[in-house]
Amino acid sequence: MSLKEKLAQFDASRNRPPEVVAVIRRGIAQVRESGAAGLRIGEPAPDFELPNQRGETVRLSDRLSRGPVVLSFYRGVW
Amino acid sequence: MIRSLGADLIAISPELPDNTLTMAEKHGIPIDILSDATSGVLKKYRLWFTVPAEVKSLYLEKFGLNLEKYNGAGRWELPVPATYVLDKNGIVRSGEADPDYTVRMEPAEIVAAIRDIVAGNG
Repeated sequence: MSLKEKLAQFDASRNRPPEVVAVIRRGIAQVRESGAAGLRIGEPAPDFELPNQRGETVRLSDRLSRGPVVLSFYRGVW
Repeated sequence: MIRSLGADLIAISPELPDNTLTMAEKHGIPIDILSDATSGVLKKYRLWFTVPAEVKSLYLEKFGLNLEKYNGAGRWELPVPATYVLDKNGIVRSGEADPDYTVRMEPAEIVAAIRDIVAGNG
């Protein structure tokens, strides 16, 4: 099963009330309309420096000097 | 898998550093989990948004979820969940960003993109 199928199955298993689903869907549509669409394929990724979970500074360009990098933006631990 | 192919994996969220540590411990993952506590990087990557008012009320009242507890005071803001595979020059070679947070890039596609980069294609 693909990840997309697994996530769809999980989402369906939560059995959320229709009014809750409606709010979430409207929210998603609003964010889509806001134009927060991320980077395009072929575009250079902006460099950055941020602290990691141990308080060490991580710079993207340093990591890239060692090889390819996969960046994953997630919402939170909750 | 990603590492064995010679690539690095970096996760980024708007959460304060305490919560990125919790994330690392919860999942036992030996990767860097970065805290973008000003949302500056989320903005540069055009992934940043303010949680719509109606969704904020839902989170607070129905889910008991107060984002300020994780992100800090006044920060009802999140990234569009996204994955990017960057080549050594920092160019986005593959990726996906979808405001529908139940949709994520397929791991097989990530692996294929890294293989392509490592093989020196394009």
